[in-house]
Amino acid sequence: MSQFGRVKQWNTFARCWHLFDATWQNPLQCSPLIEKYLKGLHKPIYHPFVDCGDHVVIMNSKQIAFPGEEWRRRVYFHHTGYSGGASWTPAWELHEKDPTMIFRKAVYHYMKGNLFRRVVMERLHIYPDSNVPEEIMENITNQIQPLRPIPKTLDSYSNEEIEKYPKIIDYPQDYLLSK
Amino acid sequence: MFKIPLTGTMLAASRLSAKLLTPNSGLHTTAATLLKEIQANKLGNKLIIQGSYVPSPRKDYLIENKSKCCPLCSLDLNIKHTDVLILSQFVRPDGCMMPRRVTGLCPTQQKIVSKLVSMAHKAGLMIKMTPENCKKDPTRRKNWKKFNTYFDESTIKVYDNHFTQMKRDIILKYMQNKNL
Repeated sequence: MSQFGRVKQWNTFARCWHLFDATWQNPLQCSPLIEKYLKGLHKPIYHPFVDCGDHVVIMNSKQIAFPGEEWRRRVYFHHTGYSGGASWTPAWELHEKDPTMIFRKAVYHYMKGNLFRRVVMERLHIYPDSNVPEEIMENITNQIQPLRPIPKTLDSYSNEEIEKYPKIIDYPQDYLLSK
Repeated sequence: MFKIPLTGTMLAASRLSAKLLTPNSGLHTTAATLLKEIQANKLGNKLIIQGSYVPSPRKDYLIENKSKCCPLCSLDLNIKHTDVLILSQFVRPDGCMMPRRVTGLCPTQQKIVSKLVSMAHKAGLMIKMTPENCKKDPTRRKNWKKFNTYFDESTIKVYDNHFTQMKRDIILKYMQNKNL
């Protein structure tokens, strides 16, 4: 067996640990990507009855992003079972209470409902900040590439960079400059 | 009764003279080739406040516009709300959009840019350009505003009036039906 083939075999038969940074990522768009690694769909030996999934560690889940008015409009439903026990919680309220809940729900609801779903979800580890325990950080071998680029703020550029950037318009002649 | 028309003419004459002396009219008493700046100097007990002309800070980095269109139309850029270095050129230091009289854009581009600027502000990408009483930190905002949001630029739809909107929709429908 060649050296590359041996590594490929290790990757398929061992439980790998993947890291995913969730800053400025939409959890609804990321859930298919994470499901792929959790179930082991990227492996050649994949079969629904074969337990070949990997672990995924998600960090900075507090800094996820939603488009437009999604924070207000997206509503999570819960029913206690008693009459009048229905409750609707907006996404921003849920995120205040538990910053890991929205990501977990997004991945859970994307997957098909069967008896394996709860087992697969056990392999998903979500942390609100970058403070991941060292016991888990030791195992990580791969990082999943994020889907959206993190936008750069105006503060991150230096004054010289802003001044020397090509200008599209100039001030009119009678414009009063303010300091 | 006689006095009323007389005072009217007097007022009109005074208005005319005021119009002639303002810098917006074609006539100038001083050379208005440069930008203005208010300077305050202290000489002993005296405080001298004077308006003086200064060269434009953007002079060296300006892109020349040779076409008859507005500067943004001629460049034909696909601007996103995350392009903060471009959007900050159309904004005053306190964060509000400059009027069309100053920017020199066409009406459609002015509307598009003003919406992009508001998107950038809501996403918290231009915290530097905000009023002084602003908290300067998007995480200290209220309710849903403190969480990260991004925007889709295709939601910006600018029409001159109702008829152009109808016209454009009819053409788009025709194109879709013909699979052009």
